[in-house]
Amino acid sequence: MFKRHQNFALLILFLALFAFFSFFTRRFFSAPNIEDILSGYSFMAILAVGQAFPIMTRGLDLSIGSNVGLGAMILFDLDKVFHLPGWASIPISVTACALAGCVNGLLVTQLKLQPFVATLATLAAFRGTVYAVSGRQLYPELATQSVKDPWIRSLEGFLDIGHLTGLSRFVRLPSLPFSFLALLVVAVLAHVVLNRTRLGLNLKTVGGNPEAAHLAGVSVRRTQIVAYLACGLCAGIVAVLLVARFTTATEATGTGMELTTIAAAVIGGVTLRGGSGTVAGPILGAFLLGIILIGLTLMGISQFTQQILTGAILLGAVYYDRLTSDRQKSASGGVA
Amino acid sequence: MTSRDEQPGNGNRRNFLKSAAYGTVAIGAGLTGPEVLSSSIGQARAATDKNLKMSFIQFLPHTVPAAWSKGIEDVLLKQGNIEYQLLDGQAKIEVQISLMDTQINDGVNVIFLQPVDSVAIGPSIAKARRAGIPVITLNIDAVEDHAAHVEMSHYAGAMDIAKAMGAALGGKGKVAIINAPPGIVIRDQRTNGFVDGLKKYHPNIQIVADQPADWDRKKAQEVFTTILAAHPDVAGAFGVNDSMALGVVDVARDKGLLGKLVVFGDDGEKDALESIEKGELTGTQYTDVYQQGRFAAAAATVIASGGVDASSFHSKGHLLIPYIIATKETVGQIQPNQRW
Repeated sequence: MFKRHQNFALLILFLALFAFFSFFTRRFFSAPNIEDILSGYSFMAILAVGQAFPIMTRGLDLSIGSNVGLGAMILFDLDKVFHLPGWASIPISVTACALAGCVNGLLVTQLKLQPFVATLATLAAFRGTVYAVSGRQLYPELATQSVKDPWIRSLEGFLDIGHLTGLSRFVRLPSLPFSFLALLVVAVLAHVVLNRTRLGLNLKTVGGNPEAAHLAGVSVRRTQIVAYLACGLCAGIVAVLLVARFTTATEATGTGMELTTIAAAVIGGVTLRGGSGTVAGPILGAFLLGIILIGLTLMGISQFTQQILTGAILLGAVYYDRLTSDRQKSASGGVA
Repeated sequence: MTSRDEQPGNGNRRNFLKSAAYGTVAIGAGLTGPEVLSSSIGQARAATDKNLKMSFIQFLPHTVPAAWSKGIEDVLLKQGNIEYQLLDGQAKIEVQISLMDTQINDGVNVIFLQPVDSVAIGPSIAKARRAGIPVITLNIDAVEDHAAHVEMSHYAGAMDIAKAMGAALGGKGKVAIINAPPGIVIRDQRTNGFVDGLKKYHPNIQIVADQPADWDRKKAQEVFTTILAAHPDVAGAFGVNDSMALGVVDVARDKGLLGKLVVFGDDGEKDALESIEKGELTGTQYTDVYQQGRFAAAAATVIASGGVDASSFHSKGHLLIPYIIATKETVGQIQPNQRW
């Protein structure tokens, strides 16, 4: 119930900021700008959903950005070096990222490393691998060539809902970028897994109290591995979407995304103590960060202000989480 | 439907205005003092009363884009009807693309751009062109066609660096390149210029290492320390920008190699010039970056006030800014107001 309240509070904040920027900024509330927000931040929202899985099991994935970079570079290499068609290279890249996520899970469960340490190590290792396998480093002439595979390029398309519904005669509706449609699919699947399957229940149980989950017969290790695998899978999907958007893969692709996704997930009510969280929260958190950047840019306000505001919202979200947790404890007579 | 460009006479007018834009820049390039240049551009004030908006999306905060931005502001703010905004790409291509989208949607008249990646920014530049917004790149070119590119003369400058470095080494020895990350055209231009310069002027000099240090002084320290361990007899290093060259100087200072190691940078920032005066850095390619920004702004002003839109540019204008190779002998020629 408290999480629902937090999501509701977040939704109110999101709508208030959206209304504020729409009122005070020229062209913020316009179809092209909404298209830009959707295409610019859907991939971050997918990553935030992915990040929510390990956080729910009391972990976190610092390597998510490097994993995106790895998937993107594998896809680039398969296209430009090995000339593999997109129908083959796309699933290979996504699978590679899912396996990389699985490696994180194994490090945490089998070697019993702290998630922070394990994924910090793989953050460096995956990024190093990106440089090592980079077709742009190995074949410098590829560095200034773009990916032209039609399967990959088609993923940067838009769905013109105005035209499809016939409403374009009356109003200019934003077209929906493919990355947003991918986000909707990921969100629905993640929601179903979390709320309608045994796995979802296990994820929250393990995150809430691993010992109790173990005593109840839940395989804690397997559940944790699946959480990191899901995170890797989201990284793989985003890697493909970014290569389609950039028409290349850079060695720096995904750098710094780990912190943004953790921030989006936490702002979205996924508590770092584990055991709870929703799918809608991280998505809303990611788009909240997006509208702040775009809104302030359109207002001509320095991006440093955006970073300060993001930090303040993050602090507010953590404080709110703490407050609700304390209330929950007092309501249950001090038993966590 | 007839497009504006297909209308008789428009093509000639556009070509004239395009020529005028570069003409103004060329005239500017012949002037030496910033005051003279500014007043000249001031006289060519926008012929329209319409308020204009221009933005510069930088790679990341650094002395070079900061100086460009100051140069751009010098020109644009004097026009009286141009609103200017500096935006930070945070060294992330996805941020830069998002900012490009925002500026295109906001209907700015010209975008100045220092791309994070020459290929990945391509779709955004194409989008700007479709929206009729000219894009002017600074120093780092993009593979997608755009209105103009204003650069420090990377290739020729790096050739001259190779010539000067070879002379300082006595025409023989081993050298290393501390490079930019791949995927940026400037990396190829400067590397190729340096390699071709050594081949042409000092064929007995051997390049034993070429490693990226991501434009960063600290990273360059780590990279060069490793190179030095692998090749203790390395006698010289070329940092593809000054920050990386100064990183090599830091290592040379720690290892007691100052004065023995020949180190050249590229750009000509204030810290590098001071280091040359102290006898630490051997030399750098110096460009008056304030002027570079002013030239870009001059072209932008003429393009925007003349109503030239991006679709009028059938080929990219390419402007090379004059430079000198600053060494202990020549660095004194650079006046305090030209240091950035």
